[in-house]
Amino acid sequence: MSSDRKQAMKMLADFSTIGMTVAFSVLIGAWFGWWLDQKVFNGRTEPWFFFIFLGMGIAAAFLNLFRMARRKDL
Amino acid sequence: MEHPILFISLILEHLGAPVPHTLVGEGWAAKMSSPHMTYTWLVMLFLILAPKLTLGKVELIPGKAQNFWETLVGGLESFMADNMGEEGARMMFPMLATFALYILVANMIGLMPGFMSPTSNLNITLGCTLVVFVTTHILGLKFHGAKYIKHFMGPIPWLVPLMFPIELISHFARILSLSIRLFGNIMAKETLLGILFMLAGAYFAPLPILCLGVFVSIVQALVFLLLSILYFSGAMEHAH
Repeated sequence: MSSDRKQAMKMLADFSTIGMTVAFSVLIGAWFGWWLDQKVFNGRTEPWFFFIFLGMGIAAAFLNLFRMARRKDL
Repeated sequence: MEHPILFISLILEHLGAPVPHTLVGEGWAAKMSSPHMTYTWLVMLFLILAPKLTLGKVELIPGKAQNFWETLVGGLESFMADNMGEEGARMMFPMLATFALYILVANMIGLMPGFMSPTSNLNITLGCTLVVFVTTHILGLKFHGAKYIKHFMGPIPWLVPLMFPIELISHFARILSLSIRLFGNIMAKETLLGILFMLAGAYFAPLPILCLGVFVSIVQALVFLLLSILYFSGAMEHAH
């Protein structure tokens, strides 16, 4: 492979993760908060951990987007 | 949809093994003889036997077979050296080359009628991904010791309680995205081929998808290799 094609492959691999990372970060955050609420505290803290970790998941998603956008090698 | 005809499963059924008709069977023997396991073993057997049979004695002036393997292994190594440096490439080469060759052959084998891709089962891809994930953190601990935790802390001290869970979440999102991408692409290819064979197999309807399948197989194997390399080099470099 020439170096242009190699660079293109690398970018393809890198950027193909963005969409899935956003979705899965939100899902993992929401699931973990739900798990804390329901299984660890038996529903006593009902909506709070869910919303806190949902927010953290969304923050993680946007942090990844932000890092991708600030890359220097583009 | 019709159940695909898988020749290893047919042979095992004739021998009396409890081949499951769902995705994963009940019990030890059924799990061992489910298609994704048997085809994984077929791929492993192929990868062990093919170099043994073609390579023979390694010579100074390479013949046809030795040329092929030298190009393949040399290409893989230079590809890794470009992305993670000579030293890291030499250290991680056995593991990553194994993954690349295994996933490539496992993706391609499903293009033949009577075979299936073991990577079209989430269990296989999740297994590969968990190995990569654990190795990433072992490498981080090996290179930085206890300071590896700085990778998760972010740059500002008073933001640590916020950054730590966020970094953990994005690390766990890597597992899911790496495994589900490979699984989804290969499963889509297999399902599409199965449906087209069933609908209009006599009129060569699956032919364009077979060509696309070759492309998808190579690209997904390369992407898995490249992303593992990027994760490894991310764990090895200093936190900033």
